[in-house]
Formats: sequence, structure tokens, C-alpha cells
Amino acid sequence: MHNVSKVLKFELQSILNKKSVQVTTLIMSIVVVIATSIPTLMVMFTPDESNDSENDVGMNVEDLGFMTKSELISLDLLTVYFGNDLNVYTSETDLRSDVDNGVINNGYIIEDPQTIRSIVQNKDMYSSTDQMMISILQRIQRDKSFAERGIDPMVVDTLSNTPITLHEEVLGKDAQSSFLISYILMFAVYMLVIMYGSFVSTSVAREKDNRTMEILITSTQPSALIIGKVLANAIGGLAQFSVILSAGFIGYFINQSNYPEFITSMLFTGLSWDSIVIFLIFTAIGYLLYLFLYASLGSLVSKVEDVGTSVTPITLLFMVAYIIASIGIQAPTNIFVKIGSFVPFVAILAMPIRYFLTSVPMIELLISMTLMILTSLGLAYLSIKIYRLGSLSYGNKFGLVKALKLIFAKDNIDLK
Amino acid sequence: MKLEVKEINKSFSGKHVLHDVTFTVTSGKAMGFLGRNGAGKTTTIRTLMDVFKADSGVFMLDGKPFIPTHYRVGYLPEERGLYGKEKILEQLIYFATLRGATHKEAKESAEYWIERFELSYAKNHKLETLSKGNQQKIQIAQALLNNPEIVILDEPFSGLDPVNSQILKEVIIELIAQGKLVIFSSHQMNYVEEFCDEITLIDKGKVILSGNLKEIKSDMGRSRLRLNASHFTSDELIKYLDANIQNIELSQDKHSLIIECLNQKTKQDLLEDLVKLKLDIELFTHYEPSLNDIFVMKVGEEHA
Repeated sequence: MHNVSKVLKFELQSILNKKSVQVTTLIMSIVVVIATSIPTLMVMFTPDESNDSENDVGMNVEDLGFMTKSELISLDLLTVYFGNDLNVYTSETDLRSDVDNGVINNGYIIEDPQTIRSIVQNKDMYSSTDQMMISILQRIQRDKSFAERGIDPMVVDTLSNTPITLHEEVLGKDAQSSFLISYILMFAVYMLVIMYGSFVSTSVAREKDNRTMEILITSTQPSALIIGKVLANAIGGLAQFSVILSAGFIGYFINQSNYPEFITSMLFTGLSWDSIVIFLIFTAIGYLLYLFLYASLGSLVSKVEDVGTSVTPITLLFMVAYIIASIGIQAPTNIFVKIGSFVPFVAILAMPIRYFLTSVPMIELLISMTLMILTSLGLAYLSIKIYRLGSLSYGNKFGLVKALKLIFAKDNIDLK
Repeated sequence: MKLEVKEINKSFSGKHVLHDVTFTVTSGKAMGFLGRNGAGKTTTIRTLMDVFKADSGVFMLDGKPFIPTHYRVGYLPEERGLYGKEKILEQLIYFATLRGATHKEAKESAEYWIERFELSYAKNHKLETLSKGNQQKIQIAQALLNNPEIVILDEPFSGLDPVNSQILKEVIIELIAQGKLVIFSSHQMNYVEEFCDEITLIDKGKVILSGNLKEIKSDMGRSRLRLNASHFTSDELIKYLDANIQNIELSQDKHSLIIECLNQKTKQDLLEDLVKLKLDIELFTHYEPSLNDIFVMKVGEEHA
């Protein structure tokens, strides 16, 4: 075991010196900086709208064209609600032509007080202009009806919009404020495990593929080799993760002034020191747990190209964990999420999500953590045995079940 | 040091591949471990190196159980392999430190062997950039790091050109002179013959011959003699002697006629017969079989 540090140092240097790792880190950091600068970019590329004519419901009237065939909804009446910059058309052909040429975005033809036609060139998925137009027409008619009955519509508005002040006190956790940060961290851990899991299994398989394994296992203990390798990949992953995360923080702080307040609130309001500590503990243990599992599966193949097939079951298992954690973001009290937070392979994602979004008793945290630690230790032991078994079987490829049978076979003296 | 391999047995999936393999090697002598492909050489060496555990039998070093990691053992596996994408010096330092050297010692040792194998120019190159022969030299260098007490080389000459083979030959001779315990397996009999004092011949997992090479040669050539005579071709001489001398068996190789005395016939008796025939003798000497002859003869006997 005293060689763990030597293996760790060599493997870590090897990871950090890899051009692919350096380039990926650089590209991902740039992408993250760009992503965190989106609010600033939006401000830079959005035209100054201070002079745009907007009516009292926030619609940009310059982009709209109106034509009315109804005497009850006159153009004069429309100007009361839409302002004086109204684009008025008397011919449907002209209105269509302007929509077609992009002079205006939407054209509205008011057939009668209950019917309007909307003409648009390309409709955005989330366009709400039509809905707003309908609301305004409803309001016009409502006001008109009130007026006919001698009721001042303004008085009705005032009476029906009595301001209510809500003072909220959340004793536990506010799921709304932790939603975004939970999702970001869950995705980061998912990427970390998938990427570095694949790295560690490839690294082990490559030693068999290039026949270095025989020299290694005759030079030191297999336990030192596998633990050193897993730790090196774990640290390598965390180092890369930290660089990318730092790039994210730098990007955020540079562009902080342009962030809408609700995003800042969703990012940081839910973060507390205890939730950060819980996240780090569960991530660290779960990350090692998965890396040992990936290392074991890498030992089962003799060729690097077989690694993908070999690690598929564990990748699928982790995807299940991801799905359960995703459910947890929407419904943190869901029974599957609660059970999942005690299953070591799922707890890596599910428990921090639960902790971010709801109140989790300390005893549950301790039970889940203990189960994860015990499973990690068991997997570390198994991965050492599987690694040793793999070193004895050049050219053979076998599954995890067969490997376990061989390890626990009483007459397998090579593993004693 | 004296390494004793005693009655090693090993089976894989019910197939018995090593049968009571037994031989002894001592420091300052090289032991050539010979056998056909699949005879059990590599399995024996892997069992000795604790890659596999023996089903039964023991490895003893100076009377104590031999545990490879407790000694400085240099090992060149048959399955060659190092990190193709790592720098040569860095990976040699890594292997040396794994075997217990300090970083300084490891660096010195790695640089010494890189220079010795004339690859100093490439020490900071990735291994995969070297030719196969040069990669093979780095593989051998890794086995010689840290001044090993015991050197085990599985087919060290395979893949080396004559110039590099000569370099390795000099290195092995040097190791023997330094009193190291050297075991190497090979198909190339000329190398084994050149510097091995001891040989062990294995076939189908059984040791069929083991001992001092000189004694084996002498023993196997005891009743045989070489003869050349003027005015006779080998074929003519065979016919002539066959017709005139009793109790002999005649054969030939590219150097001379080989006569084996049968039925208690002594060399003296044969010499007297030859004198009586008034042959003009050019060569009359003790016959010593080559290692190749011994190998073919013994393995042939086993397969007969």
C-alpha cells in the first residue's frame, strides 16, 4: 500500500499532461464563461427600446398592424388602448404585404367585437401577442359595458386590484430558490462521474491492452495500483471540474450586474454552508464508489475498444440514478426519491437534491452516508480482486457475474 | 544465492500444465530455460514471479520461501508492454520507484540503462515513437533497473537485431560476472550455449533435462568420437568403416563423421581398429553435442 502515492502521482501527471484533457478543460471553461455572459450579450445585442412606443399592457405597437371591419371597435377606440403610433390599414392586401415583407410582425383584422384574425409570417413557439391582443379586446368590451351601465371602469379596476402584502416565512427549505443550483450541481456530478469513470476504466484496460499490467503487478501490490489509479482519476476529475466551475464563477461575477434578480436569487439563495458540505461529502463518496466500479469493469476486458460495452451496465445504473434525482428536483418528497437517497448508487445525486430542496433529518443523512461508505469499501475490495483476476486472463473477456463467481470460488488459489 | 524450484504443479481449468517442475539456479551462473512453444516456460516463470500461484510445490531462496517483492528482482515478461504514450525516462523512473528506489536512485538507474542501450537521445520521447527493436531495449532496461539481485528474462532476444542482440549479450555476461542470479528462456540455442552454465529443458510441462551444460554435453557425448580422414568423403568413409569395423554406429554432421561405440567397445579399441586400417587420420577427437542437438534429441525422445 505504500506505493499508492507513487501510482497516484504518476497517473495524475499522466492525466494532467494529456492534451485531450487540457484542450477539453479549456474549451469547456470558455463555453462556461460565454454561457455565464449571456445576460451581458443580450444587453449588448438588444436594441435600446426606451423610445419604442409601448401601450399600457406592454405590447410593442410598432410591430403590429390593425384593420377593423367592426364599427363597434373603432380605430379611435383602439388608439385609447394602443396609443397614437398605431399602424392602421384599410386594405387587407396591404396588411398581408407588410407582414410578408417584415415591415410588421403581426397583423390583426377585427371582424366583429368577438372575432379577430391574426396574420403572421413566422410564429414563435412562445409568442403571446395573440393572447395579449385578445385580452385587450376583452378589456375594451368590458370597459364599454361598464360605461353603458354607468359604472366607471377605473373604479372597478381599483376595487378589484386591492394590493395584498405577503410576508412569507419558510421554516425548512424553499424548493423554488434551490431549483436552479440543484439542477446545475446534479448535472455537473453526472458529467464528472461519466467522464472520469470512463477515463479510469480505459486506463485500466489500456494496461492490459499494452501488456504493462504484468510488469506492474510484479512490481507492487494490485491494491496500490488500483487505489492509486482511482484516486488519481478522482483528483484529476475534481481539478478539471474546479477549473470549469471557477470559470463559471468568474463569468458570473464579471457579468453579475446584467443578471436578472430572480436568476441570482435562484442560484444563490438556496446555497448554505451546510448544503455545500453535504453536497461535497456525498459527491466525494459516490464519485469514488463509481470510480472503483468503473475500474473493476475496465479490468474485465483485454482491449480498450471493449471498454464501452463493458461499462454499459454501470452507465445505465448511473442514468437511473440521474432520472430519480431529476424526479427529486420536481418532487423532492417523492417516495422513490426518498428510497433512492438511501441506495448508495443513487444517493450520490438523490440525497444532496433532497437536502437542497427539503428538510432531511440528520439520522437519514448518517444512514445514507454510512451505507455509501460501506459500499465504497466493498467495491474497492472487489475492484482490487477483479483487477488481479483481470491480470491473469489476457485475451479473455468476461462479465462481472463470472468475475465475481471466480473471485468467490474457493479453489481459485491465484487470488488468495 | 541459490534459488530452488521444487516440484511445482499448476493447472488451468482442470488442465495440468506444469508437472513437478524442479530445477536449481545459483548466483553468478546463468540458467537457460529451454523448451518448445507451449512447453511451460512462461507459466513456470509467471508462477515464480507470483503472477500465478502454484497449485503445489515451493520456490526457495537460500532455504527460505521466495517472495519476489521481498527481493530486487528484474523481470522481463514474455508479453512485452510499457506505456506507449509516456516519456521513456519518466516511466522507467516510475517502475524503479515502485520497486523501492528513491527518485534519485531511480533516475540514475534509468539514465544509466538508457545510455547503455544507446537511447539517450530519446529519453524524453514517448515510447511509441521508437522502433520496435528500440522499444524492446527499453523493456529490457526496465528489467535491469535498481541493480537487481535476480534477473528473469523471458525470451529477451526475440525481436532484437544482431547488433542489439550483441549489446544484450554483453549485458547478460556482465550481470553473470557481477554474481547475479540470471534465468532466461530462449529458443535461440546459440545464445544459451554461449553464456549459460546451467540449462533446464522443459517439454509438455515436465522438466526432461536439467543440470550443468558442460556435464550434460560431456555425458551425452561420452561414447562418441569425431573422425575425419584424408582421401575420403564422409559418405565413402561411412561405407568403408561400416564394412571394416564392428560394434559402431556411424552418422555425420557438417564438420565430421560421428562414431558411437557400442557393446562395451572402448575408444582405445576403436583407435586400434583405425590404425590397423592405416587410415590417414585428420581428426580424431571427443564428440560434444551442440545444445541444438541435445534439444532436438531430448525433445524428440519425449515425442517418440
